[in-house]
Amino acid sequence: MLNKDKLFVEVGSYQNNKYGNMVCGDCVLLKKCVGENRNIAVLSDGLGSGVKANVLSTMTASMAMNFRVRHEPIIRTVKTIMKTLPVDSVRNISYSTFTIVDVDNNGEAKIVEFDNPPLLLVRNGKIHQFPTSDTIIRKEGLTNGLDERRIKLSDVTLKKEDRLVFYSDGVSQSGIGNMDMPFGWEENIYQFIEDIIEKNPYISARELSKRIVKQAELNDILKPKDDTSCVIMYVREPRRLLICTGPPFSESKDKYLAEIVSSYRGKKIVCGGTTSQILSRELNREITVDIDDVVAGLPPKSTMEGIDLMTEGIITLGALGEILKAGMPKDLNGQGPAWDMFRMILDADIIDLVVGTKINVAHQDPTLPVELEIRRNVVKNIAALLEEKFMKDVRLQFI
Amino acid sequence: MLNVRICVGTYCYITGGEELAKLKKNLPEEIRDKVEIIGSACLGCHDMEGVARPPYAKVGDVLIQECTEDKLLDEIYRQLNMERK
Repeated sequence: MLNKDKLFVEVGSYQNNKYGNMVCGDCVLLKKCVGENRNIAVLSDGLGSGVKANVLSTMTASMAMNFRVRHEPIIRTVKTIMKTLPVDSVRNISYSTFTIVDVDNNGEAKIVEFDNPPLLLVRNGKIHQFPTSDTIIRKEGLTNGLDERRIKLSDVTLKKEDRLVFYSDGVSQSGIGNMDMPFGWEENIYQFIEDIIEKNPYISARELSKRIVKQAELNDILKPKDDTSCVIMYVREPRRLLICTGPPFSESKDKYLAEIVSSYRGKKIVCGGTTSQILSRELNREITVDIDDVVAGLPPKSTMEGIDLMTEGIITLGALGEILKAGMPKDLNGQGPAWDMFRMILDADIIDLVVGTKINVAHQDPTLPVELEIRRNVVKNIAALLEEKFMKDVRLQFI
Repeated sequence: MLNVRICVGTYCYITGGEELAKLKKNLPEEIRDKVEIIGSACLGCHDMEGVARPPYAKVGDVLIQECTEDKLLDEIYRQLNMERK
């Protein structure tokens, strides 16, 4: 059983475009159904590459995702997708591949695969076989008679430390024609994954998917011959992160805030000068401001014993919001406190946001830049982005 | 050693504290080893609204409001009993 507090499904993905293409012909959609505690990931590979493929795969993935969210039967989903996709003028078929994975809170994974390379279950560091069944779905083709699709269905009960790995054929066919892999990477990828996990058993889904796509890029000597995407769902003990920002509405709650911070089991971030001062006073720990560290136009970081990251409040949170809004970046080398926060957030599964709601009257001065928004709103936006775009489990508490 | 504390809280930072924070690097040679520039997450001056204006800094125990690099250096030299060139 995946008890909400004990285990967590971390979802990570990474994509590369075919060399020279501006858009990716694969589409990856991830969704967390907050009320039902389900994580759904969809990967679709559109026919061809470039914009046309991107449109096909985005349509397929969106339909697959939305049908799945509403628990529609798979046959209906597939038929609708077949009916809706435009018929390719060259190949005369309406086609794009997909893999749908739906993992619920009990670790029950429902997997639907169509024409993507087979999904891998990695258990105890080894590729693990699991039973699948095939279903054939038929539809009258528009121009070329009967259209038949063979869909692979499987149900797997996941355990802690299990990983589901799936990718587009750009990964499995990478390196095709090279001396050492004339037929592409194919099954050698299994060994690659097992080797990484052996060396780094707790590697995150995000990191592993990136390593796989990067290796595929290397296989093609840095000029990917196709769009490459990899998605991983990793069942693990949740990593916790506490973000405290803002002084409590009532001063009598200062002690309570300090109590939350000192007793929290996980990483801790504190954002805000006043908040830092309150903690310094209540916990009797000194703050050191790293005044030499003024990068990226943000106020400098501070350090305090027992706190992993201490920053200024609203400006830094605003900058974090901008980073989150842009979605998952290609690399994580950004500098400055907002990026430091972002990197810590990516490594976390459960994020507890504790927000003091006292209004800083000085910030309401109309001559100040408009970026100084009310903390509550800034944090609410961040929380929504973390849930929707980054599949985090977010708990918001106002004090 | 003379303590100079520069507030880098939100309010002070956007009203000019950002520039003050760079003072550490631009300190004149002659006082460099007599002054210690440290940051402060917040000097706690929010409630002085209407009385004084940010950014704030403290030289020793003297609070400077609407602080500029110039004002700050003046106060540092005054407390060091040195002539500012």
